[in-house]
Amino acid sequence: MSITIIVPGALKDLLGGSDQVACEGKTIGECIADLDYKFSDFKSRVLDEKGEINSSFMIFLDGQNVRSLSGMATSVKEGDEVNIIPFAAGG
Amino acid sequence: MIVDRPDSHFIFVFHPSALMGKKYTLYEGKELTNGEVLQYWGKWIVLGDKSWLDELAQKLDRYVEDKVIPCIKYDRKPPANLGLKEAVMMVYCDKRKGEEIWEILHQHGVKIKAWVSERETMEMWLPGGPLLEQWITSMNLCEEDARINREDAAARLGYIFDHPDEIFSPWEQ
Repeated sequence: MSITIIVPGALKDLLGGSDQVACEGKTIGECIADLDYKFSDFKSRVLDEKGEINSSFMIFLDGQNVRSLSGMATSVKEGDEVNIIPFAAGG
Repeated sequence: MIVDRPDSHFIFVFHPSALMGKKYTLYEGKELTNGEVLQYWGKWIVLGDKSWLDELAQKLDRYVEDKVIPCIKYDRKPPANLGLKEAVMMVYCDKRKGEEIWEILHQHGVKIKAWVSERETMEMWLPGGPLLEQWITSMNLCEEDARINREDAAARLGYIFDHPDEIFSPWEQ
């Protein structure tokens, strides 16, 4: 199941210098695990010690903040686009 | 029209009527209450270089003139004190018109699809909220000034939560 992750230019270092990559997973959590396999430290940069999205980032699925959906357990489907932005940009 | 006042951190795109005191927090021509703003109002977040945001603002201005997009604001420079390396544009609208406006943004090259509600934003700027506390730290405010800013935020934002039936009044920025 291929999901596209898109980040703004300032976060390209999260994805090895790309602003858009494909990953696999059925949930946001599984996508993050797959990205951590591809890009070292991805998980530790995006998640807190409890395994939840940390206070530096917001993650969106089809425009909606996944914190307001089911967080890491939010389901994704083939073709979905997931966006990650710095938390402070939302203010 | 693009309102670019050098003394403001933000550059705005307003309909001219907004400069004559008309509200832009509208849905189907009706002014929103505080409660409706908390329920429906928000913005699409666009990040990018200032020069690209300038070009985008020029392209979006006609949608503001046509009252399709209610209001836009964006940073004159990246807000480094909030840890951001790119400037941020906020394209405000009612969530019930959100997809229509997202399609316009997408047609003009916006790839990131990120909706942040006004309720979320206000919660970030309430005392104890992550952005207010980060801002206080970045400004090196003394304890007294930090207290004054927290009280001001609590009063201004708390009023909106406490008076849901009043017509919403945006504040000067």
